[in-house]
Amino acid sequence: MSDMKVVLPPRLFKIAKVVLKSVNGMYVNELAEQLGVKESDIMRDLAELEAKGMVKLERVLKYVVKLSALGRKYLSVGLPEERVLSYLIKERKVHINKLKEVLELNDEEVSAALGLLRRYRIVSISEGFVECLKCDEVKDFLEHVEKVRNAMIKYGGNVVLDVIPDDVQVLKRRRVFEVDELKVIKVLPTEALLKLETLGLIVEANVVTKLTSDMLVSGSWRNVILKEFDLSIDVPEKPIKKKHPYVQFMNYVKEVLIGMGFEEVKGPFLETALWNFDVLFVPQYHPARRVSDVFYVSNVSLNVAEVDVLNKVKEIHENSWRYSWSVEEALKTVLRTHTTPVSMRTIYAKKGGEYRVFSFDRVFRPDTPDPTHLMEFHQLEGIIVGKSVTFKHLLGFFKEFARYLGMSDVKFKPAYFPFTEPSVEGFVKHPKIGWVEVFPGGMFRPEVTEAVGLPPEYKVAAWGIGIDRLAMIVLGLDDIRDLYTHDLDVINSLKLPEVMIKHA
Amino acid sequence: MPKVDFKLWDLERIAGKSFHIDELTHIVTTLKGEIEEVSGDTIVFEASHDRPDLFSVEGLARAVGVFVGSRDLIRYSVEDSGTYLDVSEAPRYRPYAFMAIVENLRLDDEAVSQIFQLQEKLHATYCRDRASVSIGLYDLDKVKPPFRYVAVKNATYVPLGYSHKMSLDEVLKETEKGMTYAHLVKPGEYPIIIDSEDHIFSFPPILNDELSRVTVDTKRVVIDVTGVEPYLMMKVLNVITTSVAERSPKPVIKLVSIKGLEKNGYSKTPDLNGKLVSFKVDDVESLLGFNPLENNGVTLLKKMGYVVKELANDVVTVWVPPFRVDVLNHVDVIEDLAIAYGYNNIIPEILPPTHFGKRYDIERFSDIVREVLVGLGLQEIMNFMLIDPEILKSIVKDKGFVSLANPKMKIYSSVRNSLIPSIMLAVKTNLEKRKNFEIFEIGDIVEIPYEGSVTYVRSLSYALVGENYTLTDALVILKSLMSYLGVNYKLVKDKEEFLIEGRSARIVVNNDVQVGVVGEVKPEVLTSLNIYTPVTVCELNLKKLYDSITASNTPS
Repeated sequence: MSDMKVVLPPRLFKIAKVVLKSVNGMYVNELAEQLGVKESDIMRDLAELEAKGMVKLERVLKYVVKLSALGRKYLSVGLPEERVLSYLIKERKVHINKLKEVLELNDEEVSAALGLLRRYRIVSISEGFVECLKCDEVKDFLEHVEKVRNAMIKYGGNVVLDVIPDDVQVLKRRRVFEVDELKVIKVLPTEALLKLETLGLIVEANVVTKLTSDMLVSGSWRNVILKEFDLSIDVPEKPIKKKHPYVQFMNYVKEVLIGMGFEEVKGPFLETALWNFDVLFVPQYHPARRVSDVFYVSNVSLNVAEVDVLNKVKEIHENSWRYSWSVEEALKTVLRTHTTPVSMRTIYAKKGGEYRVFSFDRVFRPDTPDPTHLMEFHQLEGIIVGKSVTFKHLLGFFKEFARYLGMSDVKFKPAYFPFTEPSVEGFVKHPKIGWVEVFPGGMFRPEVTEAVGLPPEYKVAAWGIGIDRLAMIVLGLDDIRDLYTHDLDVINSLKLPEVMIKHA
Repeated sequence: MPKVDFKLWDLERIAGKSFHIDELTHIVTTLKGEIEEVSGDTIVFEASHDRPDLFSVEGLARAVGVFVGSRDLIRYSVEDSGTYLDVSEAPRYRPYAFMAIVENLRLDDEAVSQIFQLQEKLHATYCRDRASVSIGLYDLDKVKPPFRYVAVKNATYVPLGYSHKMSLDEVLKETEKGMTYAHLVKPGEYPIIIDSEDHIFSFPPILNDELSRVTVDTKRVVIDVTGVEPYLMMKVLNVITTSVAERSPKPVIKLVSIKGLEKNGYSKTPDLNGKLVSFKVDDVESLLGFNPLENNGVTLLKKMGYVVKELANDVVTVWVPPFRVDVLNHVDVIEDLAIAYGYNNIIPEILPPTHFGKRYDIERFSDIVREVLVGLGLQEIMNFMLIDPEILKSIVKDKGFVSLANPKMKIYSSVRNSLIPSIMLAVKTNLEKRKNFEIFEIGDIVEIPYEGSVTYVRSLSYALVGENYTLTDALVILKSLMSYLGVNYKLVKDKEEFLIEGRSARIVVNNDVQVGVVGEVKPEVLTSLNIYTPVTVCELNLKKLYDSITASNTPS
């Protein structure tokens, strides 16, 4: 192992080379200076070299000494003791308060100055008066002043020291100096590094930011280091081009239904009232047919090819409801208010048999758009036709379907629809919203199946879900208009719902 | 759904039991109704449209009491009144009238207001706002039988709520009800009901008279229904008669003979016989998937207000009371049986599929196209099929479109006949926030190829929006899509009204079938829509495209 080459990225290589030059170590700032970089730039590299066992990092405490504002003042106007002495030489005797006033000194400064002058026996103090003893013999004192001045000059500008000298300590107490602690790191080469150097085993690697085909072909990838990515740097997000969120939801729902054996069917958007209402045993005086509840079409009249249905419906309505059924009323053109006519047309075409179909399509009702209403929305409608289809199976279908949409708590309430008996309203429990009414359904009445010619031995379980409500819940929307959005900001903001990922 | 106000104490005295509101809330679900609101002792009940017998507290309390077993149905004492209503001179446009008499009543303010609430709710729903049926109630002690329902040119009486006599014309012009319902009567052929002393006590379907008003002192009422639908009228009369009867400790209902009109089929009214419904036990099992009759069938049927006449091994016969006008045949009774059993007590069962499921061809094909366009970097958007006709006209000028007779808003008053107007709306919205984008929509349009006929088309449209796009970019997308789908197509120079001439084309397959257009939108069209960025669009008829692909692949 020891004779193996150690390939170092250029920066580490350069650091190692500098460190090797000073066996006794050097401080990080010196190292950085020599490398011509900032200290902070090499800290990670040093940590890496330490981890590789190539350098030793010693944390050392140092002191930074600098002159305080007060110190700088003393340096220019003189120390308080100097100034007191020169004043006394003129006045010989003066009261301490006068001294303070004239020289603009505080208590602390005056007592320090007088303390010194007394120690050199230059002055005496009694009853608040300072008096010269030997103000003309001050050689020792001047030596002291000189020493202090020298210290102030010497340590004046941000000097870094291992220990604080006594004279600095004294002047620090007089607030002439300020001392800050400084933690520095000393870098020393380890034995291992020295040994590698001696053996000439340290090699500088070529760092590249990306792998190229040339490298792969030439084999030079062996001598390069692929630059490491800084994972802490955030990258921008790209708007994903995708199918419309509602289309994604529709496809998910369709996939579930197809898995349950349903075949998708489609029917016309424009219907005669016959197919939209009369076939479904909705009497012509029913409030659901009022202009406030149905869009009537003004410029299209549809041909009704199904004369058998027309005649049968007349007979059924007149026998059951006993009113004068109007063919004109039945032939009015409407925008379908539900997709149930699609189911009816399917039964009319297929007649008896075992089959199940669904339609997921648009329906229309006069409403003014707001967060919970639209004049145009989707309905998911389905039927299960067969000889042994019963109400119990309708409930079973709903329970299973709700489970696929991530809602396994369901409950049922009796309901009324003109075309089903028994009729049911299914509720699902949403973790946040609570019970939501989503699943109207029932067994088609005999009057309804008879109208489209289904032999009586067949039963039809029918359901029609207000699927927009469920889509909003699944997609996390609280405004139905956002479901039909053409706004790219809204589309981009929508995330894929969990239930569509994990599939119940 | 009609909302009915009532007082809890009033319900309790008719039901014969006091209720906690939670209990009541639960019971009304078996009647397909809901407690909407509770404030003090006033409760708002939302009734199901098919149960007019629950449009007032009398019927609701009766159903609730019978359900919990605190009371039974009333066995009505029905007698002949010995009097009649003569309809031989009735107006021809509103020929029918029936009557009922209920005696031995004890009314108070609450009872009177409930009876009027019932009348009002029935008028608003079943009676089609009085167009089919109109109801009146009068104090029998203030009028003198027999009665006549006749058409008159004009007459005078004191209308309900007034203190002076008014002519029928004045009633129509000056009273609120008169103005609201004047369209239901023909001038000069006004329907009135008069008694044997020529006292006009009703001007149906407009307004009763003041003198025979029903008050807390009324002991006997006479009820009339007039209108155009006799069967519906009889249902309404039964509901209101049986409800009023609940306001008596021992009600006496008297039949009134109807003279002068044979073809309606009722010679004496009301018809309180109810009806018998028979069905096989097998019918229950084949509809519900289980048989709730097995254990306590009689109890369940009784709770729902039926009288079980026969419950043999294979056949059940029940008597349906006359106010249950919603019960048409056995499926209605079987539903009530399931409700009494409890929907949430039914064990749901999954019926395994008999066939493979599959998607509708065009929907599947649309999804393939969607994937291609997403793959080419376009974002799918969605729009409504309902659109502003002005936008349709500003783009595809000569194509017919479906118009609504009763739109709610002008901007949604027609059905789109092309996806390009839709996509231009999306272009406009998105230009507010960005300068360059590529979008597409796949959706349905409704064309009117010739007058009176409609065609439903699954269509694709894409738009390239921004200064850097030209026709070339749209053609690149077209070529990529067509090539992937294996479709050979030709571009044919053409004048398309909304596209720049020389920078647009028709897209043709199989030599002569036009499947779409592509081109740069004319500046005048853009600016008319307040769009100030160049837009290149394409629209393709996916149905025709699909047909051309599947036809060419069909072995000949």
